Amino acid sequence: MAVIRDMIPPFELFQPAGVDDAVRLMEEHGDQGWVLAGGLDTFDWFKDRIKRPSAVIDLGGVDELRGISAGADGGFAIGAMTSLTTVAESADVMSAYPLLATAAVTVATPQIRNQGTLGGNIVQDTRCWYYRSGWPCYRAGGNICYAGTSRSMNREHCIMGASRCVAVNPSDTAPALVALDAEMVVASTSGERTYAATDFFIGPDLDIERMTVIEPGDLLTQIRLPAPWSGARHYFEKVRDRKSWDFSLASVASMLNVEGGVIRDARLVVNGIAPYPVRMGAAEAAVRGREPSDETGQMAGEIAVEGSRALRHNDYKIALTRNLVKRAIRDAA
Amino acid sequence: MAENVIGTDISPPDLRAKITGRARYAEDFRAEGMVFAKLLLSPMPHARVRSVDTSAAEAMEGVLGILRASEMPVQAEGLGEGALTDEPLYEGEPILAVAAVDETIAAAAVEAIRVEFEQLPFVLDPLESLREGGPDARLDGNVGGRGEALTIKWPDSVFDEAGPDRLPMGEPAAEWAIGDVDAAFAEAEVIVEETIVHQSVTHHPMEPRSCMAYWQNGKLFLHGSTQSTERSRGSVARMAGVEADDVVFIGEYCGGGFGSKISGTPNMAIPAVMSRKIGRPVMLRITRYEENYIGRARAGFQGWAKIGLRSDGRMTALDLYLVQDGGPYGRASDFSTAGTVATAIYQPENMRFRGVPVYTNTPPRSAQRAPGGAQIVAMLEPLVDKAARELGVDRLEVRKINAPGHDGWLGENKAPFTSAYVREALDLGGELFNWEEKKQLSGQRNGSKVTGVGMGLSPFTAGSAGRDGLLVIRPDGKLHVHQGIGNLGTHSIADTARPAADVLDLSWDDVVIVWGDTSKHLPFSTVQAGSQTTHAHTRANHAAATAMVGLLQELAAQELGGSPSDYRVADGRVFRASNPAAGMDFAQAARRAMALGGKFSGEQFPEDLNDATKAAVAGLAGEGLIAAARDNYARAGAVFTWVATFAQVELDVETGEVEIVDLASTADCGTVMHPRSLAAQTNGGVFQGIGMAKSQRWVFDPKWGIPFTKRFYTARPPGILDVPRSPRFAAVNQPDPHTPVGAKGIGEPPVGAGEAAYACAVADAMGGLCLCRTPLTSDMILAELEGRPRPYGLLDTHV
Amino acid sequence: MEFLRRALNPWGEDVPIGVSWDLIWAAVIIGAIFVVGHALMVPKKVATGEIDEDEARGLPEKLQRHTPGARGFHWSMSIAMFALLITAFFPVVGIQFPWVTIHWIAGVLLILTVIYHIYHVFAKQDFWTMWIDRRDIAEGKQGLKAALGRPEGKRPRSGKYPVDQKMFHHAAMVVTLGAVVTGVLMMFRIENFLLPMNTYLFSDAAWGWVYVIHGVSGIGLIFLVIAHVYFAIRPEKRWMTWSMINGWIDRDRYLENHDPERWVVPEQGSAAELEASGGGGGQAAVSDRVRGEGP
Repeated sequence: MAVIRDMIPPFELFQPAGVDDAVRLMEEHGDQGWVLAGGLDTFDWFKDRIKRPSAVIDLGGVDELRGISAGADGGFAIGAMTSLTTVAESADVMSAYPLLATAAVTVATPQIRNQGTLGGNIVQDTRCWYYRSGWPCYRAGGNICYAGTSRSMNREHCIMGASRCVAVNPSDTAPALVALDAEMVVASTSGERTYAATDFFIGPDLDIERMTVIEPGDLLTQIRLPAPWSGARHYFEKVRDRKSWDFSLASVASMLNVEGGVIRDARLVVNGIAPYPVRMGAAEAAVRGREPSDETGQMAGEIAVEGSRALRHNDYKIALTRNLVKRAIRDAA
Repeated sequence: MAENVIGTDISPPDLRAKITGRARYAEDFRAEGMVFAKLLLSPMPHARVRSVDTSAAEAMEGVLGILRASEMPVQAEGLGEGALTDEPLYEGEPILAVAAVDETIAAAAVEAIRVEFEQLPFVLDPLESLREGGPDARLDGNVGGRGEALTIKWPDSVFDEAGPDRLPMGEPAAEWAIGDVDAAFAEAEVIVEETIVHQSVTHHPMEPRSCMAYWQNGKLFLHGSTQSTERSRGSVARMAGVEADDVVFIGEYCGGGFGSKISGTPNMAIPAVMSRKIGRPVMLRITRYEENYIGRARAGFQGWAKIGLRSDGRMTALDLYLVQDGGPYGRASDFSTAGTVATAIYQPENMRFRGVPVYTNTPPRSAQRAPGGAQIVAMLEPLVDKAARELGVDRLEVRKINAPGHDGWLGENKAPFTSAYVREALDLGGELFNWEEKKQLSGQRNGSKVTGVGMGLSPFTAGSAGRDGLLVIRPDGKLHVHQGIGNLGTHSIADTARPAADVLDLSWDDVVIVWGDTSKHLPFSTVQAGSQTTHAHTRANHAAATAMVGLLQELAAQELGGSPSDYRVADGRVFRASNPAAGMDFAQAARRAMALGGKFSGEQFPEDLNDATKAAVAGLAGEGLIAAARDNYARAGAVFTWVATFAQVELDVETGEVEIVDLASTADCGTVMHPRSLAAQTNGGVFQGIGMAKSQRWVFDPKWGIPFTKRFYTARPPGILDVPRSPRFAAVNQPDPHTPVGAKGIGEPPVGAGEAAYACAVADAMGGLCLCRTPLTSDMILAELEGRPRPYGLLDTHV
Repeated sequence: MEFLRRALNPWGEDVPIGVSWDLIWAAVIIGAIFVVGHALMVPKKVATGEIDEDEARGLPEKLQRHTPGARGFHWSMSIAMFALLITAFFPVVGIQFPWVTIHWIAGVLLILTVIYHIYHVFAKQDFWTMWIDRRDIAEGKQGLKAALGRPEGKRPRSGKYPVDQKMFHHAAMVVTLGAVVTGVLMMFRIENFLLPMNTYLFSDAAWGWVYVIHGVSGIGLIFLVIAHVYFAIRPEKRWMTWSMINGWIDRDRYLENHDPERWVVPEQGSAAELEASGGGGGQAAVSDRVRGEGP
């Protein structure tokens, strides 16, 4: 069969007005259903005719999925369909979670941030170009990882967390949400479940065809953020080839609770280096009780990259990760 | 007196339509009964079609026809390329086309076609093809010759001697020399040599090469995206198998060409022939994905250079070897142009050039903005910096020492230049950028950031001559400048008309530019390539306007008495110099010309006009006062423009990222026609070069021969945030003495200048370490700084 | 139902990529039907002949049927096999956990046990013990008729291994070797410290068939394991199951089910000696030598 790209094949469009309708439609259509949020991941797949669902469930009309609201516990809840621009420009987010606002503003371009949603940014599929080319790799149900061979062009791929598949998580907001101890609320016809952000993202060892716990029939409805650490320092950085419209080569998000010049608690998360945002637990433990200095950062960086393994073309990510973790300690403000 | 329009900022006539979205590009046109075509592309980088089963597609409702390679008037023969082929030489080459009542059906029909391919050997890396027993991209050879493919294989010893990090240099396909390079190296004070890779990059114009065709009374009407309007007609006619007179080519706007759409594109044949076959207008919308394949690319080089400087900084020896990655068709001449352009930067006293253009199974190459020139500038300039450092000579100074003056020369035959204000441009640039102060910042560290400054000097060809101008003063009193040139987005469509206004001393408001449709009677023009247009068509329109002045004077003398020399032309009137009230305005002149006929209204015209112009004049005859003239102005020498770009960067040693904090460019491009547009063109070219140096990639999987950088976001041309907010520009603004207007082209030289300035500034930030590769991405820089394994081999290409 | 999973490779060629996972359910369903059918149709106790006291004379109370080595092999293989099947198929049917590492390590263990088994068979036991000859075929025919309630005189007694066990062994051997050989090749496609990554060792299509064979073997094993476990827990076969645990069978079982001509137990030693040697331990009281069964 000859291949056609850049042309969306026909599908049936459903526009539910509420979450209940949406999940009912999703259940009804099962594997053949596709949830459309901002469309920035979706339409790439559709245009290339690689994903060809028969039914598209557009969440554009589900108002209850939009908006940022204060929670009872001093935290906030962000609807999954809230645009990245809204997140980045929200006074609440900027004051309570500047880390998230900073991360959101690094996504792609202003147009994409206007259109793209926080939920979509979190659950988006990997950008591994072998997979995105429609090649029958593990992630596409096949029996091979084209990116992990000794001849593959894998500059953008994994240095940790690989299991047959070496694709990385492309989200910019995901590491920030993990660092903020966010919770993801997932709805389906069987009710609502809540996941800690760290558990929400999964690796190919667990399921090689998914990047999150979301399964057909599941809808990410809300991102809950606990009350912010008072007086916390944060750091976010995204390294990329271009300053706009580019996915990260690696990104780092940190939250440091510093009292008396000493780190009391820390969250260190790196994305773009593994199939999921990697919480650097050992490095977090190691920096507790130390000053947020260059030396502490260096030590944390070294710990963070322990056990990492480079592919043919991405050894630089080891140094980059180490340095980003260092900066996330040293330069957190 | 009308204000002189040359040298002022104007709004080109197409601007408003472009900004408001009213401009109609090829894809926006519709014709009665129009249907759509879709392409079936080769899935393999080299293959032969064994069988095609179209039965399922043909059975689909709405499918109107299937076009195969064998039905095309122009076949892939010799080194030439067809619009469709049964022996694809790259993944993505069109095999066949399907027409259907809508695109959805056409796409579904393509998907329903079963093609059986016989897989053939393929090669992506030229060096691999030069090895004994290495694969050849073509069945008839692996190296581009004149009109036919050659086979060149180097013995293993050549590769073994070179090792993995140095360019192997076996038998070249082309070679020339000036002086005695070996003797010069023996006497040089400083010698540096490097193996350098400049990657191929695709063009990525915003507008893909969509086209629509229909036939009416035996004439082909084709809407397409082209750089050159009048010159596209002939190539489209050839592709469609008809005479040029039977083609009407329409293309008012072009969303970028950069050398990839010089005079029509091969795919234009598809709707043309399909439309004739099925008797319906056919639209072929080219997608971004398809554009990546058929949209042309710049040839890449794996090169080696060795330069020798005398103690005073003069380049006494340059030895150059270029292995060209030339795609599968034709013979991209980038490598040979590169050798020639090198002489225009440094005027080396002794030089040897060797090169071998190798075929690869990657999409076809064509000119890309300074083809060969940009590459060689970007490759050599960091090397010159390195030599200057070793010698202890200032880097700007070493360029000035070696830059050509008016007595400079070009290429192995040492042709003269028409003018060369290169040192003036360098001095101006040094001032604009504040080189003396900025170079003190070199190597300064601020936190994790290190400052680097660098510059690049980039020459390129900038003008041709001998084209025709065609002007009509119509009864509305307006001067209609018929432009055969295309509107490729550079404003030259308007700017080259300015001399006509100035010669006629006419307000710019009274000038109407006629362009973009060959049925509008367009004169013979250059192709819009090689930065020829501004030079060539300011001359042609100057010639035509001068002829128009003569006709007006003659007409006035005939009507109002006296001799022609008694009359002056200004402000839309022709009048007695001694009595301005005695005269007539252009509207009256036009009406008189129509009444008088003969040479005044185009019934007669100069014999030296090109046939295309003669036909245009004949078509216009009787519609006003018509002046057509050939550019016969004397000219001796090669017309070249030089651009110098200066860059200040900050390199983050912890991430390898580079930020450009300051950018300044200057040009010797003759008389400034349009300051705003000139600055835009220069900065745009500089950005394009920076993109090649910094981020733009063309990555293929070596196992499958398939590219991944098929979208903007994966190919990574630079974005506006990747360059400084306010790049500066200044022009020397010295007229070229070999043209009445003084203007030289600007389109191409900035690319190499930007690319080189960036590469030199990054090398400077790294303490003079030249990584000698484009693009130089942050991963490579970081690996080098951290002493970690290099991401790629020094000769790796398509990475 | 498709038998194969197919895909277009990067060059648009239609290649197999594996066996259809629907076959997992097919194997489970066929296994279930077999078990239920067998349980319903075959009486739990097959009538046997009486013990011939002459034959019993001189035989110990307990006769060793499986050496500790053989039992060790069986159980380590069964652990590996269950680990392999669970890690292979649970994730496919939706029970997800990180399975790849466990799977290949279990595979390596399986290979080690198979190597040990092969060594054991050739060095310690008689290869022909498992050979199916004409007497086995005759035995099988009679046994089948007996099982179907149409006994044809006296039920025949088997050699050391009844023919159905031999058949099971051979089927298991074929699919296990299929899974093992393809599994070893597949290790070239995953990170492990034993074999280097070489994803492109074979063409796409060849790799596809490797995956198909691996899948078919695995699915075949699902069926075989179901059948094997079923027989192991059937009341009239439990003495055999026990023998795989403790190594011995009692004399009556021996005489009842085995033909002393085909499974010769030398008249030496006694039950006491057997006990003394550790319940069928190293001092094997029962010879595995088989008379008249080889070519």
